[in-house]
Amino acid sequence: MNLSHDPWVWISAVLTLAIFSFLYKENPFYRFAEHLYVGIANGYAITFYWHRILVPSLVRPVSQGEKLWLIAVAAVGLLYLTRFIPKLSWLVRIPIAIVLGYSCGAYIPRALDAQIIQQLVATIVTRSSFANVWTGIWAVLILLGVIASVSYFFFSAERRGPLKAVSYVGIIFIMVGFGASFGYTVMARISLFIGRLQFLLGDWLGLVK
Amino acid sequence: MSIWDRLQAVDRRWVYLVIWVVVALPLIFPFRIRPVTSPPVEKLFDHVDSMPEDKALVLSVDFTPDTQAELFPMLVALLRHGFADGRRVGVLAMQVQGLGLAEEALTQVAHEFNSRAKSHDDSVVNGEDYVFWGWTTPEVTVMLGMGERITNVFPVDYYGTKTAELSIMNHLRNYDDIGLLVSIAGSAIPLSWINYAQTQFGVRLACGITAVSAADFYPYLNSGQFVGMLSGMKGAAEYEELLDAKLLRRGTEWSLRRRATEAMSSQTTAHLAIMAFIVLGNIAFFITRAKRKP
Repeated sequence: MNLSHDPWVWISAVLTLAIFSFLYKENPFYRFAEHLYVGIANGYAITFYWHRILVPSLVRPVSQGEKLWLIAVAAVGLLYLTRFIPKLSWLVRIPIAIVLGYSCGAYIPRALDAQIIQQLVATIVTRSSFANVWTGIWAVLILLGVIASVSYFFFSAERRGPLKAVSYVGIIFIMVGFGASFGYTVMARISLFIGRLQFLLGDWLGLVK
Repeated sequence: MSIWDRLQAVDRRWVYLVIWVVVALPLIFPFRIRPVTSPPVEKLFDHVDSMPEDKALVLSVDFTPDTQAELFPMLVALLRHGFADGRRVGVLAMQVQGLGLAEEALTQVAHEFNSRAKSHDDSVVNGEDYVFWGWTTPEVTVMLGMGERITNVFPVDYYGTKTAELSIMNHLRNYDDIGLLVSIAGSAIPLSWINYAQTQFGVRLACGITAVSAADFYPYLNSGQFVGMLSGMKGAAEYEELLDAKLLRRGTEWSLRRRATEAMSSQTTAHLAIMAFIVLGNIAFFITRAKRKP
């Protein structure tokens, strides 16, 4: 055993154990560590926003008499704070509308292409899909899976006859998808736990080389 | 009360204790598990390997400390690969809390290479061989702006140096100079890279993601929008394995620490334990239900 002499490692280890104590039951140590994390994460982010965004992009140029139009932009941004003044809270709609308009304009055409058209193209089975047997089988399976899964979410007609059979196949595909997601979730959570134990047993206690 | 009834009513804290033990023991008494590489990881590795020499590898650190265990080993492995091949490497962060992690990885890997360098050519120098642009916001502006001029989006790097004065930036002007951009993310940011950087500028993308979100990203791998993908700690371990084999073939035996590969024995025992729990739980459920039926 080769205990760490670094006080930061000790602080980190104690806070990790405080969070893990929740596995036994809710307690003040867990609450303390949780609140500390939220506070530090927000404080860290706010500091960076100030030093990396607001000072170089707004405060410095304006204080040097450059880009004075930024004052108008900042004033619109400050309207977000009117949410705390009931009589003026309607003004918050102005910056929200600007951000929403810009974001939708930038996002929608590109998302249509990237997430709908490109995905549709990927489901089309062509001669090149059969470059080898397995790619051909997977391509056909993906096509069937997409049709069956989408038919399960087709609510405009009563589920009878062929639609019932196809949507039943869709349920199977969806369940397989859920199973894969659950398996991956278990793997992810265990991985995070391993990471903490690597730290506790290795960096802190020195039991792992 | 039968054993099956007791199993159904077992306190969940016993389950936690078992998981603690089955994860901790293989870390203390390790046994080697050699990760079998999967096609998504091989494709990513091969793409980095076969990119034209003048193209840079860019790593976007889009994760925060809560997913460090899964994603940090990917970042380290990709940095090692980029530096080992003598590629220009650019690093940025899309999450402000990822800045410290990115710097830690860069410092660690640069030290690994520089401490073994025999000449200036073997070493990796900030501003010449790699650049850490840091973080800025919003992501739409960053992703679209990098397609025009990276120095406009990041006028100064993480350390406060003007990026226009860095020699590496003469060869790293915009997406045209990037052979592959890998988004290592604990969220849906890789999709934003597809939407803004790939759809508009055609940059080649790959992703390193947490296992939780792996199922959501497979369609983009199938469509070719991602050239490759690393899923969770297992994906990182596979990449470490491929890189280690490549370095060995080249005669470079550095015995660098492989955190993800080290974790695979614990991952395996934990999965076996969870599978046993699921099987036992189901057996107990069906037996007790059968007994209750009149």
